[in-house]
Amino acid sequence: MSTNKIRVTVNNKVYEKEIDSRTLLVDFIREKLGLTGTHVGCDTTNCGACTVLLDGKPVKSCTVLAVQANGKTITTIEGLSHGKELHPLQKAFIDKNGLQCGYCTAGMIMMAHWIIRKNPEATRDEIREAISGNICRCTGYDSIVDSIQEASREMIPEEEEDLVTRQRGR
Amino acid sequence: MSTVEEIVQGKGKFVDDVVLPGMQHMAVVRSNYSRGRIVKLKGGYTFKDFPAYMASVGEGATEGEKGLIEPVLADKYVNYIGEPMAVVLGKDRYDAEDRTEDVEVEIEPLPPMMDPEKSLDSPPVYPFMKSNVYRKVVLGSDFRTDNFEIEIEGHFNNRRVATDPIETRGIVASYEKDLLTVWISTQSVHSIREGLAEILNMPQEKIRVIQADTGGAFGLKGGVYPEYALAAFLAIKTGKPVKWIENRHEHLMASRPGRGTSAYMKLYANKNGKILGMKGKVIVDSGAYSGGSGEFAARFVGMQMTGPYKIDNAYVEAYPVYTNKVVQGPYRGAGRPEAHFFIERMIDMLADKLKMDPVEVRLMNTVDKAFKSPLGMDVPPAKTFLEDAINKLSYRKLLKDKPGFAFFVLVPAFQPGETARVKIENGEVKVWLGGDAHGQRHDLFVKTLVNEGLGIDRNLVHLQLGDTAMLKDGIGSWGSRSAMVGGMAVHEACKKIKQAFTAKHGIYSSTALLQEGADEYVHWRGEGSMDSLGCNLVTCEVNSRGQVKVKECSAYYDVGRALTPEVVRGQIAGGMAQGIGQTLYEEIMYSEDGQLLTASIADAGVPIANQLPEYKVFLADTRSNLAIGAKGVGESPTIGVPIALSRAIENVTGVKIYETPIKQELLISTAKH
Repeated sequence: MSTNKIRVTVNNKVYEKEIDSRTLLVDFIREKLGLTGTHVGCDTTNCGACTVLLDGKPVKSCTVLAVQANGKTITTIEGLSHGKELHPLQKAFIDKNGLQCGYCTAGMIMMAHWIIRKNPEATRDEIREAISGNICRCTGYDSIVDSIQEASREMIPEEEEDLVTRQRGR
Repeated sequence: MSTVEEIVQGKGKFVDDVVLPGMQHMAVVRSNYSRGRIVKLKGGYTFKDFPAYMASVGEGATEGEKGLIEPVLADKYVNYIGEPMAVVLGKDRYDAEDRTEDVEVEIEPLPPMMDPEKSLDSPPVYPFMKSNVYRKVVLGSDFRTDNFEIEIEGHFNNRRVATDPIETRGIVASYEKDLLTVWISTQSVHSIREGLAEILNMPQEKIRVIQADTGGAFGLKGGVYPEYALAAFLAIKTGKPVKWIENRHEHLMASRPGRGTSAYMKLYANKNGKILGMKGKVIVDSGAYSGGSGEFAARFVGMQMTGPYKIDNAYVEAYPVYTNKVVQGPYRGAGRPEAHFFIERMIDMLADKLKMDPVEVRLMNTVDKAFKSPLGMDVPPAKTFLEDAINKLSYRKLLKDKPGFAFFVLVPAFQPGETARVKIENGEVKVWLGGDAHGQRHDLFVKTLVNEGLGIDRNLVHLQLGDTAMLKDGIGSWGSRSAMVGGMAVHEACKKIKQAFTAKHGIYSSTALLQEGADEYVHWRGEGSMDSLGCNLVTCEVNSRGQVKVKECSAYYDVGRALTPEVVRGQIAGGMAQGIGQTLYEEIMYSEDGQLLTASIADAGVPIANQLPEYKVFLADTRSNLAIGAKGVGESPTIGVPIALSRAIENVTGVKIYETPIKQELLISTAKH
């Protein structure tokens, strides 16, 4: 079994690990780093439960190899809150009932983070289009759209950009 | 249970997050054929190592016909694609999946029975059976039809649908000092314990089942599955913990799907639209083994097939039949959507025949007095509710948009009640419910009811995850029941605690109670049934490619007192999405020779955000006669939406709709916007 050594920055912390070359990014994050907030839903890049930000961009970590993240910056759901303070997206998902079982939520929030950074004024239809790679089986999505719109009013795009890219290139 | 604050920060504890020292991972070698004889099976653990048979527990479980119970691992023959044949262990999931390659398998394929209606009329697949029918069910009485002016008939089908929660099935099993402990994603820890005890031939006292945060279930996670027994067996055999997490492909092959029910319907009426009789023949695609919900479904579907209407003559024959598919299971609605699809489609078609407004036909056949239908369903007073619904949903105002309309009875699983334990200790209240929450925010109604019952601050009340060590027995969270029956159990437990405290001290004080503590268990059980009513309205557009866009999607339901209104609204919205999914996109499909055609969640058609509308929800605020005032709700939208949407499509396209999902190709170039 071939192995590789990778160096990644995850939620502002640098990790160097020797891994099996075939390790998927989601398994690296969950099993090797113990960050279990990122979930696996479908294994086939359809449901988006495993969405994380890779150099600020959303990727479905179930179909990315961990070695492809070498030298890059990853942000997971655990990296959004500032200490005990919830991120505006986390708060909005609670306030607007944007989750029921909560299993898709991490991926949905990471995707929403990118949507708002790219288009802070996104309409409901644009949000629906943008989260169409993230499946929720519980809510029927309207409360998720509510949550994302609510959060977009609270988020400051420059700060958010900084949050997900500040470690890049180190 | 993890709080919602923990969940949004990624701090939930789902079953795949459970890690134990020395834990091994299990992978399953499954049949690639829908039917065949096992010629060679070498390597891994097989039926020879664990010659056990499944138990029937959970929602809709039936005793099952002897000789047709599913073996935990296939024995000599395989009878559905995805059937477990062998299992292997590895140090992680990658290793375990590698080791499945070491198992040598040779299967001689046999012709599979894939079509349930063909199965009904074919010679038995098993020589020892008289037919492919598991058991024939007859409801109501047959009647003469020569005096009726109008007779219409239709043949309808709701094809099989995967439950597809975003978290698949999963279990961690550990065996230490004679005690089997399992962590599991479930709707009922007590059903899991009972099922494992039966399969493993162990006393229930030697098994502890602990619920992990559960990522959706929709009927999937109420019962026991072969993989659960296998993980437990291997934990016992090896002395080391075993984890199994289902992948999505396995889910689509080997997790029990719902629906899969068709019917031949006849409706008899006079020329004014008064319905005089209904006859139905129901065929349930029950799958390859006995004891699933298909046998239950036959009777349950049959019972509801007059809908909310006063139809004096009704007769149903229902046949759960053998097919070479995974055993049928409950999917949100579990018999309710099917029965109502059949009768409601007939009502719309009767209206067409008589050139009447379908809502007028519904009104004409509805009465304002409760009654028991000839098939055995308790129908609440319906006419005033229907009139209110027509107004609330703006049916007449929306006529230009060609709305579809649905009217139904929700028959919740009111019996056999539910259990709860309320424990006050160290200034806090912990509550366990016999039905395990999996996204319905039971924690909120528990806070409300403890606050009302004992005057204790909501913030001090914490619902716990299911745990057989903490609550001695329980039923399960399914069948639109939990707030209603679980809520009553909490209410009764609080009442007992308050009474006992008052009797002891002469006066009640919540502050003193919090200091003194209490521990009360209740199994609450009500009388009879708690059926309620609901209506849906849907409008849509269909483009020239046959794609349907749902426009108006609204609901008016009698949920009794909504204990947590925003949660009730969320349940209805999510259920409406599932109703749209079933109607337009979702199906588990096989080729004629039995190969699975839907191998990913996208193939299976689970709807995405840009396929779905915004929802309008109206609640009828009529308390039930329960002390807490609640009625059922969870499954209502899965009943009403397929009916209303099918009709809306029919109105817009002129294409007669007989089955779900409605194939896009059926609607191509039919559309008038």
